[in-house]
Amino acid sequence: MSLKPRIVNFEETWGRLLETVQSVIQLGDIKRGTWSDRFSDVYALCVAFPEPHSERLYNVTKLFLEEHVDNLRKQVAGAGESLLSQYHRFWQQYSKGAAYMDQLYSYLNQHIRKQKMSEADRNFGAFTDTIEEQLMDIGELALDIWKRLMIRPLDKCLQELLLREMLKDRAGDDTQHTVLHSVINSLVEVEQYKKKQQLKLYQDLFEIKCLEQTGAFYRKESARLLQDHDCSQYMGKVLQRLQEEQLRSRKFLHPSSYHRVLEECQKRMVADHMSLLHSECRTMVRKEQRQDLSRMYELLKPITSGLSIMVEELEAHIIDSGRQAIAGLHGDNIPAQFVEAMLSLHIKFSEMITTVFNKDQLFTKSLDMACSSVVNKKLSSKHNSCRSPELLARHCDALLKKSSKGSSESELDDRLGQCILVFRYIDDKDIFQRFYARMLAKRLIHGLSTSMDAEESMINKLKQACGYEFTNKLHRMFTDMGVSDDLNNKFAKFSQEKETDLGINFSIYVLTTGSWPLGQSALTPFAISQELEKSVRMFEIFYSEKFPGRKLTWLHHLCTGELKLNYLKKPYIVTTTTFQMAVLLMFNNQDTVQYSELINSSLINEKELSKTVQSLIDTKFIEQNHEGPITENTSFTLNLLYSNKRTKFKITTAVQRDPPQQEVEQTHNAVDEDRKLYLQAAIVRIMKARKKLRHNILIQEVISQARSRFSPSVSMIKKCIEALIDKQYLERTTKADEYAYVA
Amino acid sequence: MKVKVKSWTAVATWRWIANDDNCGICRTAFDGCCPDCKMPGDDCPLVWGQCSHVFHMHCILKWLNSQQVHQLCPMCRQEWKFKE
Repeated sequence: MSLKPRIVNFEETWGRLLETVQSVIQLGDIKRGTWSDRFSDVYALCVAFPEPHSERLYNVTKLFLEEHVDNLRKQVAGAGESLLSQYHRFWQQYSKGAAYMDQLYSYLNQHIRKQKMSEADRNFGAFTDTIEEQLMDIGELALDIWKRLMIRPLDKCLQELLLREMLKDRAGDDTQHTVLHSVINSLVEVEQYKKKQQLKLYQDLFEIKCLEQTGAFYRKESARLLQDHDCSQYMGKVLQRLQEEQLRSRKFLHPSSYHRVLEECQKRMVADHMSLLHSECRTMVRKEQRQDLSRMYELLKPITSGLSIMVEELEAHIIDSGRQAIAGLHGDNIPAQFVEAMLSLHIKFSEMITTVFNKDQLFTKSLDMACSSVVNKKLSSKHNSCRSPELLARHCDALLKKSSKGSSESELDDRLGQCILVFRYIDDKDIFQRFYARMLAKRLIHGLSTSMDAEESMINKLKQACGYEFTNKLHRMFTDMGVSDDLNNKFAKFSQEKETDLGINFSIYVLTTGSWPLGQSALTPFAISQELEKSVRMFEIFYSEKFPGRKLTWLHHLCTGELKLNYLKKPYIVTTTTFQMAVLLMFNNQDTVQYSELINSSLINEKELSKTVQSLIDTKFIEQNHEGPITENTSFTLNLLYSNKRTKFKITTAVQRDPPQQEVEQTHNAVDEDRKLYLQAAIVRIMKARKKLRHNILIQEVISQARSRFSPSVSMIKKCIEALIDKQYLERTTKADEYAYVA
Repeated sequence: MKVKVKSWTAVATWRWIANDDNCGICRTAFDGCCPDCKMPGDDCPLVWGQCSHVFHMHCILKWLNSQQVHQLCPMCRQEWKFKE
C-alpha cells in the first residue's frame, strides 16, 4: 500500500471504519491486522485525492459518537437506583474506548492540529473566537460529547445521588467505593484535554455542593457531640471524625479537594467552637492534662492563630509554677536550690512541649519567655533588681570551689552547662558578671578552685553565650595566674643567681590593674614585717629589671602566709592573713604586747587592725588582759595553752568573710557605674553614626544595643543623655525632642 | 623563735609609671589601652622615647609609619629614638 494520495471511496471506507470504531468504543476484540488497516484507512481518507475527506470524516465520527453517547444516556437514565453503577460501567468503557479511538485517529488529529495552526496564522489579528466551532482531537471530541450529552442532561441527578452516597458513607453505611470514586473523578477526567480550568466542571457540579453538605453535616454532628460529651471526649471524637474524613476524601475525591474538605470540617467542628475550646484550655494547662492538651494542639494547629490562647495559657502557667517554686525556696544553700528549681522547671516543660506539642516553635518560644520572666522577676516594686544573677553566680562559685564531696569532671561540666542554660535567661548579665568576677578572683587568689580546667571551660562557656567582650576580663584574670606562675619560676632563678636567701618560701601573684574586681578601698598602710621585707625588696628589683616602666602595688589584705608555731606543746602550721601574721610575729620578742605598740609598728589602720586582733582573740591564739573594749592601752598575751586536734589548719577570719550585704551593695553600685559608662558610649557611637536623631529612636537603639548585657531603664538613658549634653558631646536641635552630635 | 614564717604568698597589682596620665597621641589614659585594642595590660604596652615622652606602642608606631622623612617625637619634635 502506498502512502501517495489517491482517490478514495468515502462511503465504503467509512463503512469499514465504522464497524471497527463501534467495536473499539465498546472495548471489543480487534485483531492487530484490522487495527493497522483501519489506521491506514484514516490516513487515506485524510490525504485523499482530489479532495481530502478529513472534515467529512470528522463530522461523521462526531455524529457516530453523539449517537452512541445518547444511547448510553438513555440506558443510564432509565437505570433508576443503579444509575450510578450503570454510569460507572459505561464511563469506564467509554473513556478507555475514547483513548483508543484517539490513537486510531492519530493521523486525523495531526491533520486537525496542523489546520488549527494555519488557521490561527490566517486569523492573526482577528477575533479567533468568531470561529464557530474549533475542531478538536478525536479523544477530546469524544470526552466533550460525553460531557454535553451525558453529564449535562444528568447533572442534577448525578449530583444528588453522589451526595446521598457520601452521606450514607458518613453515617457508616456501605457504599460502592469504586463506583463513587470513578463517577466523581470522571468529572475531572472528562476535562483532561483542557489547558486551563480543568477542574471547573468538577468544582461547579460537585465540589461546591459537597463542601456545603459536609459543612452542614458536621455542624449538626458537632452540636450533637457537644450535647453528650465533655470537652475532652469531644476533642477525641472530633479527631476521629477528622481522620475518617481524610480517609474518605482519599477514597472518593479528587486530590484538589482533600484539603478543602478537611478545612471545612475543621471550620465546623473546631473553629466554630473556638470559644469553648479556649475556655477549657486554661484548666487543662493548669492541670497539665497531657492527652487533652495534645488533642487540643492537634485540633487548633491548622487554624490560623488558633494556638495563641493556648500558648499564652502555657506561658502563664510556667511563670506561675516557676514563681511558686522560687518563692518557696528557704533554708540553706538557696543558690543551688534556685538553679535546681529553674532547671527542673525548664526540663519539665521542654519535655512536655516535645511530647505534647510536637516541639512547636510557638511553645518553645513561650517557654523561653516564661523562664526569663521567672528568672528576672524583681524582688519587689521598690527594688529595681532581682537576686537571680547573684544566686546563679554563687551557685557557680560553690560548684567550682574545692569541696569535700568530689564530683567527677564530666559531672561538674554538666552542672556548669546547666548554669549556662539559666544564665541565658538572665537579663542583667552584667550583674552576674560582676559577682562572678569577684568570686573568681577570690578562688584564684586563695587557690580555692577545684580545677583550673573547669574554670577555663566555664569562662569559655560564658564566652560562647555572651561574646568575647563579656568575658575578656575573666580571661585576663585567668591568664594572669599563668603569667604569675612563670614569674615565680623566673624569680626563683633570679634569686639563686644573686645568691640571696629570702628566708621564707615566697610566691606572688602579679595582677593587671583594671582586670580584677579588687576595690582599692581596702588598702591600708602597712609596715612590712622584717621577715617579709627582703622578699618584697628583691622582687621589686627583679620586676623593675624585667618590666621597666611598671609599678607594683602590694595588696597586703589579700596576701596569705604560713606560720610555724613553736611555742606550744606540738608544733602547728597555720595559714593566716598577712596582718594576722604581723601581729603574731610581734610576740616573738615579748610575751605581752600593747595595742598602741601594734599600731605603731604595723601601721595598719584602725579598722583592719581591730578586726585582725579580734579574729585572733576569737580563735584563742591571744588573750586580752582586761575585759572591755579595746583601747590603746589594752594589752594582749599569747595563749600558751592553745591546742587543736589538727596540726595544720587555717585561722578563720572575719576579715575574709566580708559582710555579704555590703558586698552585694558594692557590686550593684559598681554595676550601675559600669552601665552608665556603657550607655554613654553606646549613645555617642549611635549619634556619631547618625548625626541627628529623635529622642525615641535614640532610646530604642540604645536599648537594642544594650540588650545582650542588661535591660537599661529609660530614666537611666535619659540621665546619660543629659550628662553627654553637659559634656558637650551632644546638643539639642531647634526641633523638639531631637539631638545632634557635636563633633 | 616562737613564731616562724614558713611561706608567704603575696598579691600585687601592676600599672604603668608614666610622666603623664594620657597618651599624647590618642588622648586616652595610660591605664586604658589604645583605641585599636580592647584590653589594657600586656597586650597594649607603653614605650618610652629617649626624649622621655611616653606613648602607647601601637600609637607611636602608627605615627612613625605615617612620617615619610624624619621620624620625630610628636610632642617635642626631636628625632624619635626608643629608649633602651
